[in-house]
Amino acid sequence: MAETKWGMVVDLDKCTGCQSCVVACQSENNIPINTEDIFNQRRAIEWIRIERYWEGEFPNVKARYVPVLCQHCDEAPCEPVCPVLATYHNDQGLNVQVYNRCIGTRFCANNCPYTVRFFNFWEPEWPDSLKNQLNPDVTVRSRGIMEKCTFCIQRIRRVSKNSKSGEKTNERDLNPACTNACATDALVFGNLNDPESKVSKARSKGEKRSYKMLEELGTEPNVIYLKKVEKGNKQENHVH
Amino acid sequence: MIPGDFQLPKRNKKNLIYLVILSIVGLIGATVAITLLSFVLSAWFGLPLDVFGLNEGPDQPIKFPHKTHVEELGLDCTFCHRTVTSEASASVPSVTLCMTCHKSVGDDLEEIEKLRSIYASKGTIDWIRVHRVPDHAHFIHEAHVKHFSEKNNVEPAQTCSICHGNVAEMEKVRQARELKMGDCVDCHKKNDGPTDCTTCHY
Repeated sequence: MAETKWGMVVDLDKCTGCQSCVVACQSENNIPINTEDIFNQRRAIEWIRIERYWEGEFPNVKARYVPVLCQHCDEAPCEPVCPVLATYHNDQGLNVQVYNRCIGTRFCANNCPYTVRFFNFWEPEWPDSLKNQLNPDVTVRSRGIMEKCTFCIQRIRRVSKNSKSGEKTNERDLNPACTNACATDALVFGNLNDPESKVSKARSKGEKRSYKMLEELGTEPNVIYLKKVEKGNKQENHVH
Repeated sequence: MIPGDFQLPKRNKKNLIYLVILSIVGLIGATVAITLLSFVLSAWFGLPLDVFGLNEGPDQPIKFPHKTHVEELGLDCTFCHRTVTSEASASVPSVTLCMTCHKSVGDDLEEIEKLRSIYASKGTIDWIRVHRVPDHAHFIHEAHVKHFSEKNNVEPAQTCSICHGNVAEMEKVRQARELKMGDCVDCHKKNDGPTDCTTCHY
């Protein structure tokens, strides 16, 4: 078994749908600003998005929120279709996208059941006032290439380089931008192969409520969702 | 002679002169083309040829002599480039750091006066960057400095020359090593570094 396997637990019971993870992700990863036009064209880039569902009839409606990000599937459907090996699984269980290899066929995005891969239809642009806030640790993706959630690999790289000299504690404090920004700790990130990590604890704690998104497809995602707990409702509330 | 039969044109002196001129021009043209091509190819595959000052490095706004500071005064690289042992990039020192010495040192030198006027106007020095890897490649100084200083059991400042050459001897800083991907990968293979794409490309 590999030493490290990055994964995430998303507790839907805690998610309030506040979108702070979305904002944090956009600013951490140099994602161009999505305008209304771009949304209407269905070309918005959101590495993590909050899907909202309404349940019930008015006035007894309930809002359901599901944060959806790249599931970093073990059997990722996006990987075998890439003709240039720009996307592959690395030894830490991450589904990675190598921008300089990508030639923009968009096969991977078409093959992704979660629609979490995004194509740069335009050269990314920012207003002058925001140019100095770009993160220097993340490549600005140019027009014509695919991009997706990386689990903030730039942060992983800054930590794992220390792990050789035995500073393992560092790794447990590691968080991607979305997890850092989450006000209710609904997102928990960490090493799934480390039984002491936050993510392993959260997973075993919520084992009864856990499910994986579109599990029946056999993609074996590394993002684990925990179902919402309903008062007085013992039936399963399957949210998707 | 049969009429209409092919005949070589008679060589006269005029034709011969044309021929000689043409061949000389052709030779010169070919030489120039090959030289230019070799320049372009060498710059493409590695560093520019070390002729006509092509590989000399840019003129900086202040002619900072590394030679004086490092070789003659014995300053450590990490004295000025402070974040190199703790962060991804090696920082360029602030004007204030220069001024800690140059408030009193180096009077009457033209370059020092430039520095002082920048300090007085609270400006910054627009250094021209010499070493630059493409945007899609990320080089973390800290990890490399740490690895080589632990491996060779030397001070962090003594590892800089592995990639940057002997900056102490340079009047004008220039790029000493190719810093192309092949160069990086070769070194990673030699030192058992990771060769996963996302080690650098993310």
